[in-house]
Amino acid sequence: MDLSPIAAVTDEGVKSAGKAIALGVGAGLGSIGAGIGVGFIFGKEIESVARQPEMKSELESIRWLGFALTEAVAFYTFIFGLIAFFLS
Amino acid sequence: MKTRTKVLVGLGVYLAIAIMMLLIFGNAGKNESFKPQNEFKLETWLSIHLGSLDLSINKAVLYLLLASVLTIFTMVWISRRMAQKPNRVQTAIEVAYDLTRNNITGGNLDPATAARWFPFLAALFFWIWFSNMIGFLPLPTNTEHTVSVFGLQIPAFAIYAATANISIPLVLTLVVWFSYHVEGIRAKGFIPYFASWLPPGLEEMSPFGKAAIFAIEVISHFVRLISLSVRLFANILAGHLLLLFMGGGLAVLLGIAALGALTFPLAFAFFIFEVGLVATLQAFIFSTLTAIYIGGATSASH
Repeated sequence: MDLSPIAAVTDEGVKSAGKAIALGVGAGLGSIGAGIGVGFIFGKEIESVARQPEMKSELESIRWLGFALTEAVAFYTFIFGLIAFFLS
Repeated sequence: MKTRTKVLVGLGVYLAIAIMMLLIFGNAGKNESFKPQNEFKLETWLSIHLGSLDLSINKAVLYLLLASVLTIFTMVWISRRMAQKPNRVQTAIEVAYDLTRNNITGGNLDPATAARWFPFLAALFFWIWFSNMIGFLPLPTNTEHTVSVFGLQIPAFAIYAATANISIPLVLTLVVWFSYHVEGIRAKGFIPYFASWLPPGLEEMSPFGKAAIFAIEVISHFVRLISLSVRLFANILAGHLLLLFMGGGLAVLLGIAALGALTFPLAFAFFIFEVGLVATLQAFIFSTLTAIYIGGATSASH
C-alpha cells in the first residue's frame, strides 16, 4: 500500500488545522457527554426530592458530589485538547 | 415598565453596542503577538539550582506559600480568639469546620478512623479552598508585562492559582494515594488488604477469572491518581482560561472588538460561578474522595 500521501502531510497549515480540530472537536464532544450527565443528575435529584421531600438535605451533598465528578469529564477532554493545541 | 420590556430593551442595548463596535472598529485581523498561554508560564524570579534539580522561586511558589500562610494563620487566629458569642468570621469558620468534621470525615469513615484522619482531611479541604480562592484575586505577579507607576516598574496584575499547575494537585494526590494504601495495609494486614480489592461474591470463580478482575482493580487504583489530580487541575485551569478569554482575550486574539463587547459581561457571570461554586466544590470533592478512598481501604466489607 502506498502511504506516501500521509507522509507528505508536513505542511504547517495542515498541522495547525489539525491542532485546532483536535481542540474544537475534543472539547465539544466531551462537553456533550458531560452535559447529558449533569442534566441527568439534577433531573434525578429533582425526581427523588419530589418523591421523598424529607430526604432533601441528605441528597444535597450526594448531588454536588455527582455533579463535580461528571462535570470533570468535560475538563479532561478540554485539557487533552489544550495539550494537542499548545504543547504538540 | 413591564419586566418583559425591560429584558428586551436590555438585550437590544447589548446587541446594539456590539454592532456599533463592529461598525466603528471593524475587523483588525488576527493578532499573532498575543500569546494567551504565557499567562500560565512560570518566570524564574530567584534561580536556585541543586545539581540537576530546579528549585527556582516563581509565581507558583508564591501562591503556594500564600495559601499555606493564609490557612495556618486563619485557623490559629480563629482558635485563639474563640468566643461564646461568635462573630461573623467565627461563624463562617465554624460552618466550614462542621462540614469537614461531620459531612466529609464523619459521613464516610467509621468513628475510630475518622478521629485519626480528620486533621489531614480538614487541612486538605482548607488548603485547597484558600488556594482556589486567592487564585481569583488579581495580584501583581505578571513580571512579563510591567506597569510604570511614578517611574517604578511594578508587575501587571494577573490571576493565577497554585492548583492551576498540574504539579501541585499531583503531589496532593500522591500523598493521598500512598496514605490510603498504607492505612489499608495497617488496618487489614498486607495480604488481606490486597485480597480485599476483589469484590465480594467471587468465591466460586476460577483463579484465572479472579486474576483478571484483580488486574482491573489494579488499573482502577492507578487511574485514581490521574482522575483525582486532573479533576482539580483542569477545573481551576479551565476557569482561569474562561475568565481570560471572556474578559477580552478572545477579542484581542481575533482582533474583533465587537466580540469583546459580547463576551465581557459573560466574564462576570463566569467569575461568580467560579468563585461561588467551583472553588469550594473542588475542595469539597477532593477531600470527600480522599475520605471515600480511605474508608474503602479500611472498611471490612469491601
